[in-house]
Amino acid sequence: MVHLSIYRYITFMLLVLTANACITPVTDAEPIPGLSALSDTVVRESAIAFVNTTISPGLEGATLTVDDGNRQSEQWRSSLGFSAEFTLKKPIYNGYWGMALIGGSLDDKVDIIGDSGQPVHLDFTRDVLALRGSLGLSFPMTQHFKLRPYLSLSVSDLQTQGTFDGLVTTTPSGSTSSTGSFTSSAQMLSTSGTIDALYSRWYGANRLELSAHYTLIYTDAFSEDNPVLETEAWNDVLQLKSRFSGPTNLSTSGRTWRWLLYANHSNFLSQENISLGYTSLFEFGAGMEWQMNIKPLDWFGWQMIGLKAGVITSEHVDGYFFGITAR
Amino acid sequence: MKIQTISLLSCLALGACVQPPVFTGKNHSFIKSNYPIVSVNGNQVEPSYKVDLKPGENILVITYLTYQHDYYCTFKWNVTANTAYEVVDQDNRYPLTLYRWIRRNSLWAVRLDPVDPIACIEEPTHNQQSE
Repeated sequence: MVHLSIYRYITFMLLVLTANACITPVTDAEPIPGLSALSDTVVRESAIAFVNTTISPGLEGATLTVDDGNRQSEQWRSSLGFSAEFTLKKPIYNGYWGMALIGGSLDDKVDIIGDSGQPVHLDFTRDVLALRGSLGLSFPMTQHFKLRPYLSLSVSDLQTQGTFDGLVTTTPSGSTSSTGSFTSSAQMLSTSGTIDALYSRWYGANRLELSAHYTLIYTDAFSEDNPVLETEAWNDVLQLKSRFSGPTNLSTSGRTWRWLLYANHSNFLSQENISLGYTSLFEFGAGMEWQMNIKPLDWFGWQMIGLKAGVITSEHVDGYFFGITAR
Repeated sequence: MKIQTISLLSCLALGACVQPPVFTGKNHSFIKSNYPIVSVNGNQVEPSYKVDLKPGENILVITYLTYQHDYYCTFKWNVTANTAYEVVDQDNRYPLTLYRWIRRNSLWAVRLDPVDPIACIEEPTHNQQSE
């Protein structure tokens, strides 16, 4: 019985954190006492959306702020990883591999109206740590255009902590309380298939790169303390990227620096707005890259290392990226 | 003792990662390519991925293969004695780029002094290397 009550609190927390529940249609599942507008589905989608917007292949670091009145949230993601092609000598196609350690966090504050008309405030924090490995092939169609399909496996650990204020609940002992807190954890195994279409062209010493990246993700989630997160889901993400770079007069150790401008669009196609407060992001920025050109372990080429800074925007979303890039 | 053994084995393993270049003769050099070398100093050769070179001017033709076109890239440069060279695809202005390969330490090598081909001739693909 006690366990059931705690579970109710946890379920409630998870549901509300997902945000603007007032405008979310209920499509399934049993209503939560006092918050019938929320469903288990919303909780699941919210947790998986947070993980997917952190660990999906092709996403880079970001710090995002969502503010749409009833919801204020801060989300960041960062990764340490590398990917590269490797040559297979006999066939025309080449191989592709990647590894990344990824971390992210979401601090979500939501004000919502309970069924009795009382205001309820939720303060939620999710943290995820993931390891991702990728392996695939690269098919050069021409000098300028290649297709690159690859599979990625990710293992994620999701930790959730939250507090709520304003929802009157009754404990098993019979007393009432309007505040509470909870924690839960889940582990997710994500299998994703990505196809990249990559185009590049040189104009003198300047280079234009255009690419489209589509990723289909299957997520299997496990949780010992929250049955709501014992689930599975399919999601997909489309990213469009552009980049223009050119030489500078700067050089270090005899190797030159290049400037770059970039613009990216990420669309989380199957994600509901209620999950995180956004479904797409635009990013614009600039940076500098140094042509390091080393060959670790005499195996794969590491051509560039650089600094990049950009702004991220979308409806109700502001954000930025500043960090080191390597390729 | 176990730690010392593991450390020793690790050092040996790491030391084996990037080996110094081994030349076949005095003042010889060589070039390694990720793509087939089909002509050396005007002579057609069986496609190969490593060729010994003598100091002085050398001209090599290396093919870069795609599903639409084959690119025959001609490199012409002065070979220095006891030097390793490498040709790779790095999405540069030409399909292939030639570098001087230097072993920096056990963990990595560096690619220096990029040389572009003097020409890359594009032809419809023959798929002779296809799977």
